[in-house]
Order: sequence, then C-alpha cells, then structure tokens
Amino acid sequence: MTIIFIILSITALTGAISAIFLKNLIYAVYSLLLLFVAIAGIFLMLMAEFLAVVQILVYLGAIGILVLFGVMMTRNISGASSERILSRGWFFGLVISVLMLFGVLIPGLAFSELSSSPAVETITPSVKEIGIQLMHLNTPALWLTAVLLTAALIGAVVVAVPRNYSSKLFLTYKLENKNKSSK
Amino acid sequence: MSFDNPDQILVELSRLIVGYFADAPYLSFLVGVLLSSVPLIAIFPGCFAFTTWLERKGLARIQNRYGPNRVGPFGLFQPIADGIKMLMKEDIVPTRSDKWGHLLAPIFIMIPAMMGLAFLPLARNMTAVAIDSGLLFFFAIGSLATLAVFLAGWASRNKYSLLGGMRAVAQMVSYEMPLILSAVVVVMMVGSMNTSLIVEAQQYKPWVESDNPLFQCLGQIRGWFVFTPWGFAGFLIFFVASLAETNRSPFDIPEADSEIIAGHMTEYSGFKYALFFISEYVSAFAIIGIGVTLFLGGWNGPNIRPPWSDDPQAYLIPGFVWFFAKMFFLMCVMIWIRGTMPRLRVDQLMGFAWKFLLPLAFINIFVAGFYYYAPWYYGWPVSIGVLWTSYRFLSRVNQDKRIVRKRTYKFA
Repeated sequence: MTIIFIILSITALTGAISAIFLKNLIYAVYSLLLLFVAIAGIFLMLMAEFLAVVQILVYLGAIGILVLFGVMMTRNISGASSERILSRGWFFGLVISVLMLFGVLIPGLAFSELSSSPAVETITPSVKEIGIQLMHLNTPALWLTAVLLTAALIGAVVVAVPRNYSSKLFLTYKLENKNKSSK
Repeated sequence: MSFDNPDQILVELSRLIVGYFADAPYLSFLVGVLLSSVPLIAIFPGCFAFTTWLERKGLARIQNRYGPNRVGPFGLFQPIADGIKMLMKEDIVPTRSDKWGHLLAPIFIMIPAMMGLAFLPLARNMTAVAIDSGLLFFFAIGSLATLAVFLAGWASRNKYSLLGGMRAVAQMVSYEMPLILSAVVVVMMVGSMNTSLIVEAQQYKPWVESDNPLFQCLGQIRGWFVFTPWGFAGFLIFFVASLAETNRSPFDIPEADSEIIAGHMTEYSGFKYALFFISEYVSAFAIIGIGVTLFLGGWNGPNIRPPWSDDPQAYLIPGFVWFFAKMFFLMCVMIWIRGTMPRLRVDQLMGFAWKFLLPLAFINIFVAGFYYYAPWYYGWPVSIGVLWTSYRFLSRVNQDKRIVRKRTYKFA
C-alpha cells in the first residue's frame, strides 16, 4: 500500500511541478493530466472508486480537452514559447503559498477528524449510496448546482454571441431564405 | 474440478491455478491479475487480426472483387504477413516533428483501448474488473483516446495531421453525449452500473429456471433490452454513436483518405502506425462489447442446462461463445455499413449528433421512465408512439429545406 502511495505521489508531484515549469504549453497540459491521473489512482487506492471515475471523467475527459482547445484557439501552436515563466512578483507568491501551506492546510489536516486510512477494507457498492444521498437528503444542493450550471451555460452563450452582428447576420439570412422560397 | 457446469470451466481452472499459490498471498494476487488480464490482451488483438481479414474480404465481396486470397487458405494468413511487414518497415520520424509527442502518442492510445476491455462481461463470473461503477468507468476511460489522438496530430507537425486531430476531438466530444445518454436508459432500468448485473437482468428468470429446454432457450432471449421500445431506440442510437466514437465509416472524417490523407496517422509508419490501427479496432471491439452487454443480452443466448447437472445456473454452451458471436455479428454490420455508406460532411456530422441523436436520446430517457412505471398494455403502445412521433418530428425539422436540383451530367 505504501509503495503504491509513494509511486502515485511522486507521479503527481512530477506532473504538477513540470506543469508549472515546462515552457512548451502542450507538454505542460499533458503533465497536468499526469497529475490528474495520479490523483485518480490515489482515490482508487483509498477505495473511493466512484470518486476516481469522476476524477477521470471530469478532469481528464472534460477539463483536459477544454484546456487543449484553449491552447489551440489562443496561440499559434508552434509549441515552445520564449517567454519567461517566472513573473515579476514570484517571491511574494512563494511566500504566500508557503504561509498557506503551513498556516492553513497542514494544521487543517492535522486537526481534522478525517481518518487518513481507507474507511473500508474492500470496495463496497458506493454509487447507490451516493445516489440516495443526492436524491433524498441533499436534493436542494443538487438543484442549486443545476441552476448554477444552467446560468453559467446561458451566460457563456450570451458572451460568445456578439449581439448586433449576429442579429444582423441572422436577419439577412432569414430574408435571403424568404426571397429564395418566394421565387 | 467438476464438469457439472461447462459454462464455468475456465473460471474454475483459474481458481484452481490461483489456489495453487494460496500460500503466498502476494504471488496469488499477481497470478490472479495476470490470469484475468493476459487473455484479454492476447485474444482481442487476435480478433483484430481476424477482423482485418474479414473486413478486406467483406469489402471485396461488396465491391465485386476477390480480396486477399494468396497467403494460406482463403487468404487467412494475410494478417500475419501484414504484421511481419509492419514490423520490418522503417520507422520514419519527421525532422521537424515533436519527438516525444510523436513517440508517446501511439503508446498512449493503446492504454484506453486495452483498459476498456476489462469491463466486458465475457461470461458469467468472467469480468476482469467487476466493480460497481463499471459502465461509468468504461465511458470515462473511453474518452481518453481523444487526448492521444490530439497529441499525435499536434506532434506530427503536419497540417493534415493537425486537421485530423482537431476533427477527431470535435467528433469524439460530440458523440460521447448520445452514446452515454443512450446507455443511461439501461442503467435506469437495471438500477446498477455493474456490467455483470446488467447482463443478468436480461434473463427471464421463470423460464430460465424451468425444466423445459425450449423455455430455457427462449428465457435467455426474451429479456434482451433490444426487444423493448426504449431498448430498441437506445440500441440504434448507441450503435450509430459508437460508429462515430471509433471513427468508423460513415463517420471516418478524422482520417478521411480523400481529404486529409490519413488524418492524425499521416506521419506515422511501421509499427507505430500498426499500434494506431490495433487500438482503433480494439476500442471498436470494446464499444461493441458494451453495446452487446447493454442491449443484446451479453453472454445470454439460446442455451440449455446440461442434462447431467442439477445446478440451476449451469449452461451447456459457455457464455463467451454467444458473446463473441454477437460481437462479430455487429462487427460484420460495421463492415457492411463501411462498404455501403458514403462519408458524411463535417457539418452533417455535427448536426446529426446535436440536432437528431441527442434530442432522441433525451426523449428515450423520458420514455423509459414512463415504461418503467406503466403496465405493459399501456407502456408499450405509448412508448412506441412517442418514439416514432419524435423520430418523425426530428427528421422533419432537420430536413434540408434547400431545393436540391437534380444532378445532370453534361459530358457523360
């Protein structure tokens, strides 16, 4: 168990560090995906099989492709960029992140009541339990999430469609079609 | 080892071998893992080799040719000759290409293809990874092939490769939606995402456990989900979406030979090219296998209890015979479609996914929910009516309104 954990965490750290420091954007994206895979492996090691599936489905399948699309759309995809990686205020960022790690995260983990070992010995059917939790007890949270996601979706569409331009285009398209059909 | 249950011989054999190492827990664990994974890695590429022959023969018959007929009887050893040729070919890496990406992409693409096989219930107790969320795991892993295809397209540093990679990503992302939504229906009905349980739910228990051999045969067929209105619609949506998901014709626009040479595989040669080819066929097998599991009854088939056995769950013919028979049947349908249908345009492809398959899959979910609660004399006609009406409506709405002039040939 500890051997697997060490391998997975080294993989995750390698992925995370190279995602930050690699100059080639596409390489950085793929090393970020390596980090996601390692985290899914850690979930699986802790017998949280559903969480591992969701990690793969959402982070690798959706977010990974989204980031790749983003890279594709915004830059010329020659790969290595000559820009420097460290920005000007890197020192303050480092200080703040170290403070966060030692001031918030590690004390939070140390004093939490969550156990660090897997809660169950074998993988028990967890999907049904999660479904019951979502549909019976935490339904308002589920609904709120759905509403939030719908709002985000509508917002994205509104942002993506330039209003004046598109309405004009749409109108001309309609008119043309009308003319065609009348002929 | 007993021969009471011929269906379970392989399972008992593997238990026997694992039991031989019972003294060393780690070793027996390792042996168990190897026994369930190595056959998959051996058998499915073997199926791939056979399918290349089948496809070339089938396409040749459709096009009124003979197909391969020189190597071995009926050209059966052609795949071996092809394999040796692929191994001996020079591995060409373009100078300007991204070396690491170019090397890693064919390796990455094999991982999801092979992992998808682990969730197929080949027979009773013969699922390599029988976990509770197996179906979800299958779809999650299936979506990873996109990343490798994109990497291949990008790393080749070739315009055709990049276009192919972009097309592949767009196509796979769009067709994943109808694929998963059509599978949701089965999950709703069975109440589990465990692939083994889904297959067992497709048996009609009172008939299977009766003493009449005819009823035993029929009991393993009448429960298939494809024989219900929502299952039929779901199967059609799933099959069409799986054609697109594995880049099979008529949705093979990512590697459209006449437009962009071979898409993301343009700059690959030798065994790297063969790896892309193998992964394509193995993932096609995996997705067809899930289709068989979900809608065509998995390892259920006309099967009787052996006369000498008292075990109510014993079958004469091993389940994997039926599983592979159905899988090859669907593969033949795919080959048939490839020989018959012309390739779609990009806009037609996207429109088909988002304007036709997706709404139909949504409607199918509602229909399945209605069918679940309604009595059969009410559920059947209403489900069929709703599905047929929505099919007609969607085809009417999506019809191309432009007047297509009849094509006239001036010089022929």
